[in-house]
Amino acid sequence: MDKQLFQKSKKIEKITFIFDLLAIVTYIALFLILFNLLELPPVINGRMNLDILQFMTPTYEFLGSNLDKWQMNSIISILVIFMVVAVPMFVINVKKNNTRTIYEIDSYVATSKFVQAMINVLSFNFISTGLRIYNTFVLIKFVKGYNAKEFFKSIPGAIRAKIAKMKEKKVVIDEENLDSYSASLKKSIRRQTTVHVFRLFGTYLFLVTMALIIIIPFYWMVLTSLKDFTGATTNNPEFFIGISRWNWVNYKVVLTALNFGVYIKNTVIVAVFSTIGTIFTTVLAAYAFARIEFKGREVLFSILIMTMMIPGELYIITNFITVSRNGLGWVGMPTGQNQYFLAMIIPFVTSISYIFFLRQNFKQIPESLYKAARVDGCSDFKYLTRVMVPIASPTIFTITILNVFSSWNAYIWPRIITGVGGVEGQQYWLISNALRDTAFVQESGRVMYNLQIAASALVTVPLLIVFFAFRKYIMNGIGRSGTKG
Amino acid sequence: MANLIIKIKKFFAMIGKSIKTFFWNVRRILNNFKKRVGNFLDRHHINPAGKAPGWAKALIYLSPALVVLAVFTFWPIINSFALVVYENYNMTNNTITGYTIFGNFIRVLTDESFIVPASHTGSSAVINTLIIVFISVPISIFLALAISVALNSIKPLKGFFQTIYFLPYVTNTIAIGLVFAYMFKTDGGLVNQFLKIFGVNVTGLSWVESNAVYWRSMFVLIFYSIWSALAFKIMVFLTSIQGIDKQYYQAAAIDATPKGRIFSKITVPLISPMIFYITVTSVIGAFKIYNAIVALFGVAGAPPGVRYNLQSIVMYIYQFIDGSNAGNLSVAAAASLILFAIILVLTIVQMQVSKKRVHY
Amino acid sequence: MELRLENLTKIFTNKNGQETLAVDALDITIESGTLVALLGPSGCGKSTTLFMIAGLVKPTAGKIFFGEDDVTKLAPEKRGIGLVFQNYALYPHMTVFKNILFPLENMDVPRDEAFERVKDMANLVGIGELLDRKPSQLSGGQQQRVAIARALVKKPRVLLLDEPLSNLDARLRLQMREEIKRIQRETGITTVFVTHDQEEAMSISDKMVVLDFGKEQQYDAPQDMYNQPGNLFVAKFLGNPPINSFEANVKNKQLIINGKEFMKVNLPDGEYFVGMRPENFRAKSDGFIVDIKEIFHIGRDTMIHFDFNNTNIRALVDSDSIEEGQNKVGLTIKPDRVYIFDKETGKVLNNG
Repeated sequence: MDKQLFQKSKKIEKITFIFDLLAIVTYIALFLILFNLLELPPVINGRMNLDILQFMTPTYEFLGSNLDKWQMNSIISILVIFMVVAVPMFVINVKKNNTRTIYEIDSYVATSKFVQAMINVLSFNFISTGLRIYNTFVLIKFVKGYNAKEFFKSIPGAIRAKIAKMKEKKVVIDEENLDSYSASLKKSIRRQTTVHVFRLFGTYLFLVTMALIIIIPFYWMVLTSLKDFTGATTNNPEFFIGISRWNWVNYKVVLTALNFGVYIKNTVIVAVFSTIGTIFTTVLAAYAFARIEFKGREVLFSILIMTMMIPGELYIITNFITVSRNGLGWVGMPTGQNQYFLAMIIPFVTSISYIFFLRQNFKQIPESLYKAARVDGCSDFKYLTRVMVPIASPTIFTITILNVFSSWNAYIWPRIITGVGGVEGQQYWLISNALRDTAFVQESGRVMYNLQIAASALVTVPLLIVFFAFRKYIMNGIGRSGTKG
Repeated sequence: MANLIIKIKKFFAMIGKSIKTFFWNVRRILNNFKKRVGNFLDRHHINPAGKAPGWAKALIYLSPALVVLAVFTFWPIINSFALVVYENYNMTNNTITGYTIFGNFIRVLTDESFIVPASHTGSSAVINTLIIVFISVPISIFLALAISVALNSIKPLKGFFQTIYFLPYVTNTIAIGLVFAYMFKTDGGLVNQFLKIFGVNVTGLSWVESNAVYWRSMFVLIFYSIWSALAFKIMVFLTSIQGIDKQYYQAAAIDATPKGRIFSKITVPLISPMIFYITVTSVIGAFKIYNAIVALFGVAGAPPGVRYNLQSIVMYIYQFIDGSNAGNLSVAAAASLILFAIILVLTIVQMQVSKKRVHY
Repeated sequence: MELRLENLTKIFTNKNGQETLAVDALDITIESGTLVALLGPSGCGKSTTLFMIAGLVKPTAGKIFFGEDDVTKLAPEKRGIGLVFQNYALYPHMTVFKNILFPLENMDVPRDEAFERVKDMANLVGIGELLDRKPSQLSGGQQQRVAIARALVKKPRVLLLDEPLSNLDARLRLQMREEIKRIQRETGITTVFVTHDQEEAMSISDKMVVLDFGKEQQYDAPQDMYNQPGNLFVAKFLGNPPINSFEANVKNKQLIINGKEFMKVNLPDGEYFVGMRPENFRAKSDGFIVDIKEIFHIGRDTMIHFDFNNTNIRALVDSDSIEEGQNKVGLTIKPDRVYIFDKETGKVLNNG
């Protein structure tokens, strides 16, 4: 093993990352610029005229050339495809490059470098292509010991050997000459294989069918959100549409017409503060339940667990009274005196199920660590922050994500408390409320399905991105805990 | 060039070091101070930590959570029992006209559209909810079990399928509900388009629009609730199936046990605690169905222009609290206590059943 | 630093109010700079004693002195002890360096000096190369070394080790035993070492304490304890294969075995327990003749089985002195290697 070659390959890869990153930044910048150029329908009587959206044929001037609507759509689509491919590839590569050890390098790694180089070509990232191909040869040298020249020379030989191998006839066993026992054994093996193949086929067929049922709504959502009005409402909807007909302007309409910015801001505020609060309260409480010995600990804990069975509607009635005028006075006050954010955050800054989940996690940390810390002069609180929290950090991270998700999906409580506030209350809607209660209709009253679905996609896609980024944490966390967020 | 890089690196290392040294020294001073205080206390035989009982320390850690829980969890439970005895509670003025013990319960139970089907809609919240619970829960549990067993038996693409099946968990119920409603559109909906392939006459075959009939709308609702509930169940089942000791399967394989028997005699009994847990939680969850109905049919709980509605118990409760026209909260409290009672009874029944069936 | 336990007692009370005497009035003085092993079967209170010295368990009665200081009521971090756990208790999320540094963070040490001390200590225990690794990337023996370094880095007055070698495999255990002895010698620190393995205790310690049911049985240097056990428990506990013990009568100052006079003893008539170690027998033609029941050849030695007063006795003798098929042999044993114990108290009567 040549350690120097390995280090060299790592270094090249690191330089490649700079250009990958540059490419990604370029894609995003171009996307944002072009997206910003997209022309919105005119506003008539304070309302956007959605009827003419699909009939507009604006031309855009970009970098000295005139682009029509279709060309513009195509370019943006290509940029989005580039981003969808390049960003995950970049993240995965960086992760792998940091963790890959010298023992994991094999010819497969070299091949995958080459494939990535080809992908780079397709996404106009030529510098990365060059570097990756160079890296491929470094890795070939590392794995096989060839130079680039010798490598090319070795190819014809390898191909010839492969062909020769394929030509080599399989040895046919003459079944006639087998004794009866061997024959029956062979038969039973064959039958077994057939059964196995059928079972495997059945299993995969079932799994694929179910997967399609799960995935089709997502596909249909993305597809419809890019269609124009006619395409979304026709009696014979298309299952695929060309990239020139991906109407990115739909998203721009949704973002501007719906005031989406405000709702996303509200949601983010609620999500951030309620998550910080939840982590703070649940970590402390879980620590008390897991480590501190006090009288009535088990009783208190089982009371908490029991309340998990009570339906949330029971709380909501009283909580509504609590936060409104006769209680804390956060909502239902005259305009301008309401504290909608407090009402949306404070009731959710703790969660019994997360306390339960964290306590289980804390309990698994061996007692001897605590003793060791005590001997080292570590106070209880320091032990919590320096030892327990870092060890339980995957769980805490899972809780964070789940909590953000639940804020993102919150519907009924924000609806109730903003409902008493009339127009003022609408300014404090969270994303789900806005999604459900704003309609995209034409003058004639027909629903603009493509826009409605685009709004749904706008709400769903960030969740999916977070999910794919932290897939392992989320899925492990759910599987282990059995608690629902 | 290289020299410059080294210099820059050194510079940052120096800054890093001085920051860290600063914090280290702060800690040092604190430690020193703590030590002195400790020594002082020791000299005078004062030991505050030793004398304070465990619960005093626990209280410090528990108080943030407990304060919030007290106000927004424990108080509501107590208050609900107070609310149900009020007569004509008016939330805006905080006034009541008197007290009643069963009045609010009787009002709920005799109310049209709670248990008794209302004359103008022909459907009631309790019946709707029961239909949803007793159809969607068994189907989704069975499907989830089947999928997780199938997932456990394959190797290639396992992670891929797992990820896909998990997707519904991380989506917004309202957003995907809108997509579902769109997919079940009468004209040009994906589902009708699909049925057309099989030669079904789809003209006027409505699901969520004005011509829909009760069971078709109910089908969409149940389909959607199963779709969104599968992910969580699959994850939990798969994790517990993977936790089963492989030796059981090896022993069964040597005994030539058929696959069906392995499933019914090994897999199911061994994960029965999880099946039980999931059954209880999903029955509770299904009783509380709300978001899915709102997403598919709007706050009215029915397709526009139809006679029936698909209101659930929770929806019935919320109509009293709904911000813009907050109604009689005593009645809402009574209804939610009834919901609680139903859930409690069902949970106890399931626990009794499980005592015989679940292998811990 | 001399370590003195005075009448140290611990009674655990469980939920039902039932009391268990874990440690029973221990009076032990451990001289400065020595390595003392606390030895006993599991559940004998040796770990409880160690944790009381550490301050993690509060004694029910009695006092603990470090030198002249009474530390009985002092919190663990103020006692100046280093503690090594059976499972090492390394913080899994910190690197080796941070693990060793952690105790110093809670003390009044300048940062540079702290770093120096961590590096010196890592070199002393032989893990200077591994400072950047996480505990999960280390082998058991390396983790053990880190744990010792972490215990020693704050320059404790006493080092306490709780069964530190029991999680290691046999070969590593031998090696680490020597390592611990070396480190202890180099630092000259008073060390208390808890173990249930008598061989480990005997090979590592300057002196050892044998405990049973929380009571001190004997406190002596290992070899002395082996040769002059104070009571039947100690005699039985030490040695592998274990000591042979059987009942025998003394008549007219003669020990009677198998109805014959075996040796002269200076004891009144009566029934006694007699102990003889298998390896103390010698085969000699003019010795006490026994009927051989079985012969096992184990390497350089040969084990023979025979009966003394209807009790099966094992003797380890030279392979050369026994031939296959031989059914009688003459055996001798030195008089001071025959231990006679009181039948009631188990105390040794003719020795020590």
